[in-house]
Amino acid sequence: MHLPDGIVPVEMALAGYGLSAGLAALALSRIRTLPDPQAEVPRAAMLTTVFFAASLVAVPVPPASVHLMLAGLMGVMLGWFAVPAILVGLFLQAALFGHGGVTTLGLNGLILGVPALVAMGLWRLAGGRWPDLAALGAGAGAVVVALALFFGIVLAGLPTELDGAAERAALAVFVLAHLPLAMAEGVIVLVTLRVLRRVEPRLLPGV
Amino acid sequence: MTRRSSVFAALLLAAGVVAIPEAARAHAALIEAETVQAIRLHAQYDTGEPMVEAQVIIYAADSPTRVWGLGLTDAAGVYTFVPDDTEGRWTIQVRQAGHGATAHVELAQDAVPVLTASAGAAGQGWPQRALMVALVAWGALGTALFVLRNRKRDNASA
Repeated sequence: MHLPDGIVPVEMALAGYGLSAGLAALALSRIRTLPDPQAEVPRAAMLTTVFFAASLVAVPVPPASVHLMLAGLMGVMLGWFAVPAILVGLFLQAALFGHGGVTTLGLNGLILGVPALVAMGLWRLAGGRWPDLAALGAGAGAVVVALALFFGIVLAGLPTELDGAAERAALAVFVLAHLPLAMAEGVIVLVTLRVLRRVEPRLLPGV
Repeated sequence: MTRRSSVFAALLLAAGVVAIPEAARAHAALIEAETVQAIRLHAQYDTGEPMVEAQVIIYAADSPTRVWGLGLTDAAGVYTFVPDDTEGRWTIQVRQAGHGATAHVELAQDAVPVLTASAGAAGQGWPQRALMVALVAWGALGTALFVLRNRKRDNASA
């Protein structure tokens, strides 16, 4: 779910950079208030790699292909660190694999960064009382939020000359194809947290 | 029949002949053939699947912001069009459900069209991708170990 170059007008791409920079600034300011921000850096570095490599796991589902996003996992595991980690991962995906555009990096940062923060909020809200349910909801919910943002941005940036109805129909199929992914990502977050709870509880995210 | 009524009848007949559809008035058909230079696009996703019925938007070289033509790819992700005589860099974008790619074709008089650039998913092999993932993982591991070493050193000195 990466916007490539040339899909949205230049003004939207620039606005995406502005909003994404604002989101990153907010995240960094919140990270600075943590008691020991450096303690999270190793985990953020390793999860950035996982996020970067996850885009290679693609399942062809017409009209496009479905690949792992892991925005929910990033949000739950890293909290505010998820935003800079996702931006770094997206830049590497665009530069090395051609997944997503360089001009649309800001918009792609929003499409995956905002859902990560939603997942973080959900986990912190309900993770203490219902950890399994919160993990499932965070993973699946992040995909749903990312789909909604992607859908809205694509339609907002659609050139007026093109057939809007055809694009909406293609987007609807695209969204339907991603619903199993939402469930899969929910299960990924759930399994990851359960394994960590059993093997290495120190790596579990705080609630 | 008076002269006036004859003129009226002639005008009515002429109007009737003009109003008859072309196909009914004609007696034969002619075909003229000419060879032209066409551009054929093959649009596909990075998985190799063709972009079926994807929307095509074409910008001519003389006006990169004004749409020159629109179309749809076929079931094989193929779209063919015949550009006019405008020389220079034509831009063609194929898009569907927020995915797409942009190609630039250089057209010159009496020369074969040249694809100058095609932006889209990179066509890399698995060994190359695995190497990139390994390099990024190595970078992340290095960052993690660097931070952990500094923390241990700080704790020891404290």
